[in-house]
Amino acid sequence: MLTELGDEGVQILAISPDSNERSQELAERLRARYRFLADRDLAVTKRYGLLHPRGGEKGQDVPVPATVVLDRDGIVRWLTVADNYQVRPDPADVARVVRAIK
Amino acid sequence: MSKYGPALVSVALSLGAIVGYFSLLRVPFIRNHPLLYIVAFALAAAIAAVAALRAPRWPSLTALAISLALLILGSYFNFVMAKIPQSLIAARVGQPAPDFTLPDAKGAPVTLASFRGRSPVVVVFYRGYW
Repeated sequence: MLTELGDEGVQILAISPDSNERSQELAERLRARYRFLADRDLAVTKRYGLLHPRGGEKGQDVPVPATVVLDRDGIVRWLTVADNYQVRPDPADVARVVRAIK
Repeated sequence: MSKYGPALVSVALSLGAIVGYFSLLRVPFIRNHPLLYIVAFALAAAIAAVAALRAPRWPSLTALAISLALLILGSYFNFVMAKIPQSLIAARVGQPAPDFTLPDAKGAPVTLASFRGRSPVVVVFYRGYW
């Protein structure tokens, strides 16, 4: 998703409990419009109803993987929530949704 | 060759599924169809089982043990460990998403609503590196 959405004029906000300095450096090298946001106490994750209690490898709370696409007016146009953490949305599908919005 | 043939095919199928899955994780189709490796392990077990029934010697029995172990481990991982309980996401298509402000990697606050009128936004929640 880093590269496929690079030229779509879209802002990507990636939220996890991590602080992500290294991920941000990688994104900047790739010139991707990615911003990694730290949800340390999972407050935003909870507000979105995406808390997976004790779902982490070490039994810690983690977010349920999910992708939400908003249009320019802040209205949700597409979303997907994972039911298996091996599975992720196909970047081509997300790119198609974003292109349809513009 | 005929004595070891089916056992070799079985083991090659199992190992091929593991190597193939991990080396092709960046391909969305492979990543998003973890059932493929389960099917490969099951097929490997079936081949080894047929060979073992015909001639219960060490090659086919070893292949059967390997493929069954992988089938059980793989199924446990895919159907139990990797499963995420169903969640009710607090965002609806056609409605505004809940707003938030979070620090970026440099500590600067980022507010979702600040992109309104500027650009579409893709919000991705992920588990982080654990």
